[in-house]
Amino acid sequence: MALRRDLAGSRRETPEKADVERETLDVDVLVVGGGPAGLAAAYRLARLNEERGGEPLIVAVLEKARAAGAHMLSGAVLDPSALSELMPDWKSRGAPLDLPVRDDRIYFLTAGRALPFPITPPPLRNHGHYVISLNRLAKWLTEQVEAAGVDVFTGFAGTELLYEGDRVVGVRTGDRGIDRHGERKPAFEPGVDIRAKVTVLADGVRGNLTKTLIRRFSLDAGRSPQSYAIGIKELWDIDPQRLAAGSVIHTMGHPLRFEEFGGGFIYALPDGRLSVGFVAGLDYRDPLFDPHVAFQRFKRHPLVASLLAGGQMVRYGAKALPEGGWHALPRCHLDGALIVGDAAGFLNSMRLKGIHLAMRSGMHAADVAFRAVRENDVSAGRLSEYARLVEAGPIRRELYPVRNVHQSFAGGLLAGLLYSGMSLLTGGWWFRDPMPAHAGHERIRTVAKYFGGAAPPEPPSAPIDRELTFDRLTNVHYSGTRHDENQPSHLLVADTDICRTRCMEEYRNPCTRFCPANVYEIVDADAGEGKRLQINASNCVHCKTCDIMDPYQIIDWVPPEGGGGPSYEGM
Amino acid sequence: MILVVAEQRGGALNPATWETVAAAQQTGESITVALVGADVQKLAAELAAAEVAEVLAVEHDALEPYTPDGFVAALAQVMEKACPELVLFPHTYQTRDYAPALAARLGRVFIPDCIASKVRDGQRVFVRPMFQGKFMADVLPQGPAPHFASFQIGACRADACARGAAPAPVREAAVEIDAAAIRQRPEAPFKEAKQAVDLTQAERIVAVGRGIKGQEHLPVAQDLAKALDAELAASRPICDSGWLPMDRQIGSSGQTVAPKLYLAVGISGAIQHLVGMKGARTIVAVNKDADAPIFEVADYGIVGDLFEVVPAIMAALEGEA
Repeated sequence: MALRRDLAGSRRETPEKADVERETLDVDVLVVGGGPAGLAAAYRLARLNEERGGEPLIVAVLEKARAAGAHMLSGAVLDPSALSELMPDWKSRGAPLDLPVRDDRIYFLTAGRALPFPITPPPLRNHGHYVISLNRLAKWLTEQVEAAGVDVFTGFAGTELLYEGDRVVGVRTGDRGIDRHGERKPAFEPGVDIRAKVTVLADGVRGNLTKTLIRRFSLDAGRSPQSYAIGIKELWDIDPQRLAAGSVIHTMGHPLRFEEFGGGFIYALPDGRLSVGFVAGLDYRDPLFDPHVAFQRFKRHPLVASLLAGGQMVRYGAKALPEGGWHALPRCHLDGALIVGDAAGFLNSMRLKGIHLAMRSGMHAADVAFRAVRENDVSAGRLSEYARLVEAGPIRRELYPVRNVHQSFAGGLLAGLLYSGMSLLTGGWWFRDPMPAHAGHERIRTVAKYFGGAAPPEPPSAPIDRELTFDRLTNVHYSGTRHDENQPSHLLVADTDICRTRCMEEYRNPCTRFCPANVYEIVDADAGEGKRLQINASNCVHCKTCDIMDPYQIIDWVPPEGGGGPSYEGM
Repeated sequence: MILVVAEQRGGALNPATWETVAAAQQTGESITVALVGADVQKLAAELAAAEVAEVLAVEHDALEPYTPDGFVAALAQVMEKACPELVLFPHTYQTRDYAPALAARLGRVFIPDCIASKVRDGQRVFVRPMFQGKFMADVLPQGPAPHFASFQIGACRADACARGAAPAPVREAAVEIDAAAIRQRPEAPFKEAKQAVDLTQAERIVAVGRGIKGQEHLPVAQDLAKALDAELAASRPICDSGWLPMDRQIGSSGQTVAPKLYLAVGISGAIQHLVGMKGARTIVAVNKDADAPIFEVADYGIVGDLFEVVPAIMAALEGEA
């Protein structure tokens, strides 16, 4: 049984000293997060300002990355439907969608072989879609948004929501210049209060602000628990002759077992650049499972290794993604705020796509926020129009029929495939709807339970040759991650005693395996006796996996000082 | 009339003063400069070279050395008599220290850290950066004049300060200061001694890593560094644990070095460390693990326990001596 702790007690205290004078900035709509959902919302608002005339709404976007798009990571194959509606002239505006998908292949991998699927199932057909870099898309979208008159503040993380009663009235950005002991450095600069009539939360998968909002208002009451996966990806430069640009390959099977959800992907970008990644469900039972090792083993499979041999890894990154689908969506409207994109969970796990839904949700939110501000009514009742747009529009049309797909994989790969195939005919019907689901951290078993009391094996490993396969630390280097070293840890572990006592015994410290960036290490205690948890916070690539998967739910991810984090150039 | 408050210390003007005078000149208004201190006639004459209407020498024995109470009292009296519409300061540490108190004493607004001022709809607004310069705000001062503003250093160029055809008149402005009412007793100014090691200048470096196991074993590496006349450095885990100060860290989050000799003891050679030292001319590595990546960059590698290898090196060095 997972031990639940009150995270409120573990939050980093921001003692409000009397001498802190905060700047405030008033806007009409504040978008928190410069990803596809947030940027689509901002762009739509700018367009509405132009089309509707009158006093324009003041719109601002906050983005924690130092540079636009630097924290964006996806496969990615883009369904351009939402972009085309948002910006019909995206082509002439130079959108970085220049590579249409040319063919789709799916393989089932055994340890040594790759068995092609005879046909590509309809949800995985990518005709008319584009192989893209989400980093480049977000960078370009940011330029469009700025040109349309919206201020995008990069390098500023929203760390707290501002409330008036129960109404969200904006966001406080993080203080800068706090040292690792919590003391002010000479360059201390207090965070800014940005007050907004409507706050659009686009803080991404397991967003730190959305998380507190969901807890405070029980927005997930009566919904299925959200489930997640972790995606790990590398960019490679290989001989362009090996795989034609625009090729899309998906795999199932090896190195995962039937009980584990996930699979690999290989997308060929122009000029011999390859996007190679692996997605593993964060709802595995085996406490010794290691997503990073699974990715290394995937690359060692002959199908992948033959493509990568002699090539060079140039970038690395990891990010969690929401897999729960329709039934796991929380209530996304409340007094003064709307939740969009991955923060809410708008992702189609059957089509392996979320960017277009994120953008679509941002556009709906913009429409509603614009009208609500104009009518001077930003109550939850007025903003509930957002839920109606989601219900009546393409989002539900796409997500509802596959509402039980991810859940069906809880019964294993075969059950999942069977159900998924069947759902194409039945429209997603099942005897129990919603199909029961459990949060991932509740599914992970203790070592004793999983191995039935037998002596557990050594945790899985893969040979590291630093050519095809890499250790975590080397990989982190290629993520371009930088944080100011002299700042408090942004990974709050409520009780590190649990790590060296209970968790070591019960789960063998799964944080050292599920973290793809070597943030968590169990090292010898200073006194030379026993072990202790060491947190290498400056390695963090902001994937949020620890916050999601920790079995005791005692890890709280909060934003580090603005600007810190990975640099996903070209990812 | 605009009052510019000049800044001096130890017989020299703070050059930011000229920048603030230049900012005031751009408004086209009449300018008075006030210089506060105990004996400022000479500097006041220097200031009079600028194209301004007048220079006020605000002198009192209690105004040297600088104290916030003394300056607030003196300038409050100057303002009562001169009745400026606007008071400009250079945005120095000293201004930051007392100007907010002065504004509060007089019940006036203070707009600090401006980079420009301009007239919008017939009213003077001040431009100041927000969000670390990503955004410029036009600030319209409220309430009765005079309004206070300070100008960021470098916002105007000192050489843009126009010189007058003839020196401006210098006038003594008498102020009454009750020395007993000054609550601050300044000590002599001092500079914090900078003792950070500059590893980039070291010819030889002995760097120690996790293989050292515990802080109590550090003397092993320290002695070796001493014997080789080398600086001691470390990989990240050592500095993270606080066993050595962070200014001895080599690597992507520490210093990048290129000494003639780099002796890596118990360092596995994570890429984050390698990028900080791979430019060294000769790299010698001691590590237990023959597969450690440090050996990929090492010119000489010794696979073995550092607690056996280092004493052997020490013995060999002593034998040589």
